[in-house]
Amino acid sequence: MARSRRSRRTLTVIVLVVVSLSLISLDLNGRTHSLTSGVKSVANDVYAPLRQGVLDIINPIGDFFAGAFNYGSVQSQNEQLQRTIGQLRATQAERGFEESQLRQVMALQNLPYLQSLPTVTAQTIDEYSSNFTATITLDKGRADGVDVGYPVVGAGGLVGQVIQSFHHTSVVRLITDGQSKVGVVFGPGNQHNGIVDGQGPGSSMTADLVPPHTPLHKGEVLYTSGLQAASFPPGIPVATVQSFHTSAGASQETIEVDPAAKLNELAYVDVVQWVPPA
Amino acid sequence: MTARSMLRVALVIFVVLMVQQTVMVSLRISGAHPDLLWLLPITAALLDGPETGAIIGFWAGLVFDLVLPTPFGLSALVGCLLGFVTGSLTAAVDPRAAWLKPVAALAGSVAADMLFAVLGAILGQQQMVQVDFLTLFLVVGVSSVVLVLPVNRLMRWALAGESNSRSLVAAQAGSRAW
Repeated sequence: MARSRRSRRTLTVIVLVVVSLSLISLDLNGRTHSLTSGVKSVANDVYAPLRQGVLDIINPIGDFFAGAFNYGSVQSQNEQLQRTIGQLRATQAERGFEESQLRQVMALQNLPYLQSLPTVTAQTIDEYSSNFTATITLDKGRADGVDVGYPVVGAGGLVGQVIQSFHHTSVVRLITDGQSKVGVVFGPGNQHNGIVDGQGPGSSMTADLVPPHTPLHKGEVLYTSGLQAASFPPGIPVATVQSFHTSAGASQETIEVDPAAKLNELAYVDVVQWVPPA
Repeated sequence: MTARSMLRVALVIFVVLMVQQTVMVSLRISGAHPDLLWLLPITAALLDGPETGAIIGFWAGLVFDLVLPTPFGLSALVGCLLGFVTGSLTAAVDPRAAWLKPVAALAGSVAADMLFAVLGAILGQQQMVQVDFLTLFLVVGVSSVVLVLPVNRLMRWALAGESNSRSLVAAQAGSRAW
């Protein structure tokens, strides 16, 4: 009897493990990914309003304990202001890049600068839902013109890239995520290239593939390169240099950078409707 | 498991998901937040044995997978294994021992996070092993020890009336359902 029960348990677990592994393979396989993505899309359409309903109930309690009268309106106003400041920072920083580019290469006048590209403004409804990924969830999805691969900007620079797009929500991988890699240019005439690598939530980013002893200064801004097949249009501020040095015998300079965008102030962001040219 | 128990378990999974995604995610310390998901298979296994732990771990993980950006099915796989291993390892322990739930919550949550990250990396999600594991284990471990009792209460209510291998729920269902 006990042996039969043990066999049944083992069989149950084996079946569940096989089902789990099958689901993982379906999700990771490019041809069948749309199946799991479709299921997640439907689930998110049901889940997002429910979650928002719960937040609508519990947020006032939190606001009450925050101890401020009219906190809700102040918070809303603050979010609007943060959004405006973020857009202004991005515009200001990008203008310097544009002027530099225009002075040097008139032929680049057809480059798709950020300000000329259509955008969709979205609200952040969830941040860092997993301990293992640096992502945010937006309240706009495919039905609103947000698709996988679109760059996301806000709060002073590049925020990340859309990696999942559902009907009315989407998931954005932040540039601090361990899988994020952004091609950048910097220096006089933007003559130096590199790649900004995310190192995971809570860790500093690095700029890699920069030759030893490349001249830099603390606070220097690195912009998206927009080189052929790049995932982002050129001229978006990505990061600022925090520290740099070249170790003896090293094949590249060691550079630590901070995100140009204030990633803790992402109440609103702009999704840029841009796809890399074929 | 009866239909009534299944409905109750589904409700508990939904409540825990909502609490996790609305309250727990905002309690971040150095980038890490508490993770209630792993407490579901752990408490189910402690209350009703490895088979129930595995089944509830699988379904809870699958529901969480629907809203997480990690590979679909990974939480279900880890939840299933966690429930089974917890139930198997604690089978010979007196379920009324005061230390059992906190120790199982601490060890189980940390082990589950470790397994989750390693399996994720094996599946190509290299960023999942690029987190500050010390902070993560501290935050998840300590919060699991604190939160295992309320989650255990919920699971006890959900599984009340089950005739189970460990005879804990059935024995106490009448007097301590809540």
